[in-house]
Amino acid sequence: MARSDEEYDYLFKVVLIGDSGVGKSNLLSRFTRNEFCLESKSTIGVEFATRTLEVEGRTVKAQIWDTAGQERYRAITSAYYRGALGALLVYDVTKPTTFDNVGRWLKELRDHADANIVTTLIGNKTDLKHLRAVASEDARTYAEKEGLSFVETSALESINVDKAFHTILAEIYRIISKKSLSSSADAAAAATLKEGKTITVAAPHPNAKDGKPCCSS
Amino acid sequence: MEKKRLDDHEAATISSPRSLDRFGFLVRPDASTSDGLVKSRSAQFERIREDRRVRKWRKMIGVGGSDWKHYLRKKPHVVKRRIRKGIPDCLRGLVWQLISGSRDLLLMNPGVYEQLVIYETSASELDIIRDISRTFPSHVFFQQRHGPGQRSLYNVLKAYSVFDRDVGYVQGMGFLAGLLLLYMSEEDAFWLLVALLKGAVHAPMEGLYLTGLPLVQQYLFQFEHLVQEHLPKLGEHFAQEMINPSMYASQWFITVFSYSFPFHLALRIWDVFLFEGVKIVFKVGLALLKYCHDDLVKLPFEKLIHALKNFPQDAMNPDILLPLAYSIKISRRLEELRQEYEKKNGKITQSREFTEEQTVQRL
Ligand SMILES: Nc1nc2c(ncn2[C@@H]2O[C@H](COP(=O)(O)OP(=O)(O)OP(=O)(O)O)[C@@H](O)[C@H]2O)c(=O)[nH]1
Ligand SMILES: [Mg+2]
Repeated sequence: MARSDEEYDYLFKVVLIGDSGVGKSNLLSRFTRNEFCLESKSTIGVEFATRTLEVEGRTVKAQIWDTAGQERYRAITSAYYRGALGALLVYDVTKPTTFDNVGRWLKELRDHADANIVTTLIGNKTDLKHLRAVASEDARTYAEKEGLSFVETSALESINVDKAFHTILAEIYRIISKKSLSSSADAAAAATLKEGKTITVAAPHPNAKDGKPCCSS
Repeated sequence: MEKKRLDDHEAATISSPRSLDRFGFLVRPDASTSDGLVKSRSAQFERIREDRRVRKWRKMIGVGGSDWKHYLRKKPHVVKRRIRKGIPDCLRGLVWQLISGSRDLLLMNPGVYEQLVIYETSASELDIIRDISRTFPSHVFFQQRHGPGQRSLYNVLKAYSVFDRDVGYVQGMGFLAGLLLLYMSEEDAFWLLVALLKGAVHAPMEGLYLTGLPLVQQYLFQFEHLVQEHLPKLGEHFAQEMINPSMYASQWFITVFSYSFPFHLALRIWDVFLFEGVKIVFKVGLALLKYCHDDLVKLPFEKLIHALKNFPQDAMNPDILLPLAYSIKISRRLEELRQEYEKKNGKITQSREFTEEQTVQRL
């Protein structure tokens, strides 16, 4: 039986990061609304969307924060890494610099996100075959080295987009369900996921005490 | 053969002539436009009223703006009142240049813009190009790839990124430049951008775009407090749902409502913004929340975020929203909150000292 959008077993917060123009906003609109826009606007600040889906037999609501890719915006966007269980790190397979910058994005995550955040590397725009400049193998090797899962997508042709989101949500689910078995404290934390607000599984982030408004939700 | 292809093309994409609203934005067939409001009233009555308004304005500014300064000095309150009612669209470009101080900058710096565009190179060129087609993509002027709209947008942004290499180019600036370019030439738009970011008349805006986006942070801090003070019930609801203004208001400040608001409303806000300064952005923001208050306090987190990015059509009516905004008094608190923020975070340092003479000297 189809459940309403309001009912879910888990709520997972995921952030979309990566250089400007790699297609983050379009991956999100493809995933949540099945829309693609060749004439989309650049993102200013952060945007937000959700989709509820089945993952490993559970109903999971994915709460996805889409951030502006330009470096200067990290001043506001990095606050949104807090409490995120997953990060989709996107580059553009036709633009080598966006792949070269992946390392810097990983550092951003190490600096601002929870230590055990699940990260998936996404090479987007595979439809532009004649323009490809980053080989799948190179990216795959890199992802393995860094311990990331890896998916190539096309938001335009709707290839692998669901798979990319599914991969990360399933991975988060596996980690969380393992945790809630192994420790009762974590089980309590995982249970609060159902409430729809507290979604931090790890201990409170060190930044939490600086009194700044909390951006995780 | 050629003919046939054209026909096919037309049948596929422009079967009905492309419909544009009165500002040149493509109208989606299903979208109800604001023009509906105007059309339903007597069109003739509107025209007569508009003609009268334009005549009054022409008298006030004189030929090419020659009487403007004199009038402004003599009757500042009349000017303020008239601007709050909206500058006639046919005079908007000129009046914007007069009230922002950009006309003076232009006259004092002949040839400078050309120099910046033609001879200088900028580290931001690729960033700018990447965003050109993502700036007002639904406006005819900016739609055509490498067309005059996109070219002039590129030139203005590149020139600015050379003019102030500390600011360079930041996403969002394109919306300011794009809006200005619909009302004036490239060079005029460039100097207006300079006037705004360097603070020719009001406080400089460049802190919105400098590394760390310090002024965005300050404005969000001030706005959050103003919400709590003016709309305590909503403020509390936001706190409970963990909504903070960076989730919905960053764009308001960074692009002065030009990013996603209906264009006719953005223009009316810009009229006041250029004359009275950034205060109007806070006021309009508060007015929006106030207008939708009773709905917003009922919504849970996700719906709340959605509502804060998609205000209902009736809230976007400038003749309702702006009077509400004018009625909200914030000047003193805004200043106190600025000081409070500075005490906590230190003063925002500007990229460079700016005086008009220096502009010339440096270049
Ligand atoms: N060919 C192709 N183009 C794409 C694809 N995904 C996005 N694009 C285009 O790439 C451009 C940038 O896409 P966005 O989704 O706005 O990029 P973004 O990563 O959100 O950029 P910022 O908001 O600036 O950080 C747009 O013109 C899209 O139409 C894709 O899969 N294939
Ligand atoms: Mg985006």
